[in-house]
Amino acid sequence: MTAEAVAGTDLEPESLHEARSRSWRTQWAQPDWWQLGWSAGVLLASLIVFSIITALLGSNPFSIYSTMLHAAVLDHGTLSQTLLRSIPIALAGLAVAVPARAGLVNVGGEGQLIMGAVAATGVGLAFGSAVPGPVSWLAMAIAGAVAGALWAGIAGGLRAVLSANESVTTLLLNFIANDVMLYLIYQPWKDPNGSGQPQSKPLSHDEVLPKIFGSDLNLGLILAAVVALGIWLTLKRSGWGFALRVAGGNPIAAIRAGLPVKRLIVSSMLVGGALAGLGGALNFAGVETQLRPGITASFGYVAFLASYFARHSPLRVVFASVVFSAIALAGNGLQVKDGLDGNVVDVLLALIVLGPLVLGVRKGRRA
Amino acid sequence: MSNGIEQALIGGVDAGTVILLPALGELISQRAGVINLGTEGALLAGALTAFAAASSTGSAWVGVGAGILAGAACGLLHALVVVLRGADQLASGLVIWFLALGMTSIFGSDYVGLTVDPLPVEKIPGLGSIPWLGPILFTHDVLVYVGILLAPLVWFVLWRTRVGLLVRACGERPEVVATSGGHPRIVQIAAVTVGSALAGLGGAQLSVAYVGNWFDNMTNGYGFVAVAVVLFASWRTVRVLGGALLFGVALASASVLQAHGVSVNQYLLDALPYLVTLFALVALTRSSGSDAPEALRRALSRSG
Repeated sequence: MTAEAVAGTDLEPESLHEARSRSWRTQWAQPDWWQLGWSAGVLLASLIVFSIITALLGSNPFSIYSTMLHAAVLDHGTLSQTLLRSIPIALAGLAVAVPARAGLVNVGGEGQLIMGAVAATGVGLAFGSAVPGPVSWLAMAIAGAVAGALWAGIAGGLRAVLSANESVTTLLLNFIANDVMLYLIYQPWKDPNGSGQPQSKPLSHDEVLPKIFGSDLNLGLILAAVVALGIWLTLKRSGWGFALRVAGGNPIAAIRAGLPVKRLIVSSMLVGGALAGLGGALNFAGVETQLRPGITASFGYVAFLASYFARHSPLRVVFASVVFSAIALAGNGLQVKDGLDGNVVDVLLALIVLGPLVLGVRKGRRA
Repeated sequence: MSNGIEQALIGGVDAGTVILLPALGELISQRAGVINLGTEGALLAGALTAFAAASSTGSAWVGVGAGILAGAACGLLHALVVVLRGADQLASGLVIWFLALGMTSIFGSDYVGLTVDPLPVEKIPGLGSIPWLGPILFTHDVLVYVGILLAPLVWFVLWRTRVGLLVRACGERPEVVATSGGHPRIVQIAAVTVGSALAGLGGAQLSVAYVGNWFDNMTNGYGFVAVAVVLFASWRTVRVLGGALLFGVALASASVLQAHGVSVNQYLLDALPYLVTLFALVALTRSSGSDAPEALRRALSRSG
């Protein structure tokens, strides 16, 4: 019996394990029925626990699910809302997934979303109606991505140079980002016409991302989809994506093979931060149009859960983000129809992610 | 201004205890090889449970007991998930925090705006009358003294007793403990649970002693700061004590500076404690990397 087996730890890197035995394609080609059934059972268990909690709060434990479906998907306009909210969640989720390839834990999605929104606000307010809309859209998106990249880059640099644990530094940076945003909202960018509600001055009409398909959806959705696809291809096909996986799987082997591990660490954090920053900018320019406290609504943390739930595989992260976005939106319905606190959906999200951790879905982990 | 410094130090010891208790708990947990970001959740759960129990029974002490239990429950969940299921430690901790965030938000809404009689401030006879030092160190609620006394106790248990040796062995080489007939998993589960109970106690210090009320997400990342403190303290008890007090003073300074009419924006001051922690983490980690308990290092490098 090896030492690791006794300790109950599995040192085989998830990414390599995945690459070898269950690539995305083979999984769909030959579904493991036992595995799927077990996963469904775990999900059901999470829902049952959630029902019990809502019953304790005095709601009908069955009707809440129909309320949630209506509030997130079925009622008029709600599907667009779900998709729009999934933009920052999916991009911040990819911001977790990309560094995870290199073995890094980026819990800073929330702060990176905030800095992206802050930078977009700064650019948007500076340009006003002085430049054509499309120039403004592009500038806001780029500014958001750069700001997010820099914010994550701090943690990446500290990790590479001083080996400061990036999960802790990114967490601390979230709180600092939030205070920076509050400062800007309450002082330099304060909307003089805001009726008591603290918020920034609004974007000029031309700067708001245009709607598409004659629906409430906006241009940001297309951009986010293109970027997500690009990230999927980059991780799958590019040398950089491969190098990340090697560095994350076995850093010592990576160093021996001459890979620039430190540069990979920093670049994966920069790319991740840029994705989340872009998400913050698109959410601001397409949906919010005014910076306000709580603009990110914990999307950064929901994204972290989504990425872990999807085991950092880009396409699954996007899919999980849409589902998690729907659940987050369903909170509104529960608040209005069932009189529950809207934050009750945080509990559901946590239970859905906790389920597999407790009951174990991962193959090979049980051996 | 010397009056202001005194105020910042007095408040700093009170606020520092809110960090010190979970940080000592996190120290025990990490020495046993398990990092627990759920400490933030345990702190939050402890704060609400303590406040709710104190407000419905009228006794702050019942609240303190309830806070400890709530913290322990969070820790037990984390321990079962990571030790028995081998789940990713960082992910599990964050999920537990998110769960606690949601649960306290739902069940806490009834308690927003209420107040409880906080734990009384006990001036230690004699010592409390020392000029300047007396008010800073010896005029606090009982939990502050508990926190300060727990620091040497935790040190003694971890470094001078068999139990402590066992805990640290589990944090370095659990397989050695197993080979010599011990049960590393049980030790780890116990260490994480006890550590998290201390975080619950810290939550009680926050809600029923330091602040005296409850509001949503009132811990505001202090539990994460506690984890950071343990890392930059290189898993040494004395440095944990120092780091917690440093954060407490930074936190209290922000409000003292404001009260003295320093014209810096409130929100920039609010960021100060986190900046101080980040700076300390960066300045002091370089040397500490190799001091990390070995099993902990393995667990962290496995993430992803």
